[in-house]
Amino acid sequence: MNFLSNLASATEEPQGDLLSALGIDWQLLILQIVAFLILVWLLGKFVYPWLMKSVDERQKNIEDAAKAAKKAQESAADSEAETADLLKQARKDAAEIVATAKLEASNIATESEARAKSTAEKIVADAHAQIGKDIDKARRELHDETLELIALATEKIVRKKLDTKADAGLIAEALQEAK
Amino acid sequence: MARKISRRSLALYVATHLASGKPQKEIALQLGAYLVSTRRTKELDSIIRDIQFYLADHGHIAGSITSAHELSASTMKAIESFAKDKTGAKHVSFDRSIDESLIGGVKIEIPGYELDSTVARQLTILKTRYKKA
Repeated sequence: MNFLSNLASATEEPQGDLLSALGIDWQLLILQIVAFLILVWLLGKFVYPWLMKSVDERQKNIEDAAKAAKKAQESAADSEAETADLLKQARKDAAEIVATAKLEASNIATESEARAKSTAEKIVADAHAQIGKDIDKARRELHDETLELIALATEKIVRKKLDTKADAGLIAEALQEAK
Repeated sequence: MARKISRRSLALYVATHLASGKPQKEIALQLGAYLVSTRRTKELDSIIRDIQFYLADHGHIAGSITSAHELSASTMKAIESFAKDKTGAKHVSFDRSIDESLIGGVKIEIPGYELDSTVARQLTILKTRYKKA
């Protein structure tokens, strides 16, 4: 009710009184506008550039970080691929090394076996030869001992049996043969 | 002092006289005396060899016989005949010796020829010729 009465009375009063009626002090309003403009100017002059600079730096840092992250990601991917290649190459090399080692081991084993076989055969051949020599030597010794025994036995028998008469006959026979 | 006579002259002298039938003992004494007086006894072996050589030229040979038993006259005769046949000599003389280690048979040594038919020699041949070691 009070508001309606104030509005009715305002419609009846001049324009300058309207601001007053609205409770606005135009002097204060101007002052506030001037103060606002000064504030805007101060902000535009001192705060806003610093703030924008800071924001730009921040944005730049973020972008740099993003780039670095992307680069790191790419590098990681490259590294992963390279690692995979290295692992693949390493596995291939390892497989070749193992195969070569197996082949060499097999060759060494074969050579060792052949050498051992050759050595064994040589030992057996030497043993056979030595046995043969020993047998021959034993045979010769037996032969010679038999000869010695025969000669000894003959000597003993002849000494007993050969008297002067038989000796004369022996001499006559030898002379006859020597003629 | 007596003139030095060569060894060959001495041997020829001795051989000639032995072949002519002079006593062996007398000639041996002369030779021995000469060698002693001329201090040439060391040449005796050589002189005897030379004497044998010259005697052989005269048909006289000297040899040696070694046997295990005493040899009978018939055996000696057979040996002398054998030596004459082998050398062509007219006279043969032997030095005889007994060696029981020969067991049996005879060993005859005459200049240029040797016959060893002893049993010991045969046994030695048996042992050495057929020995393998």
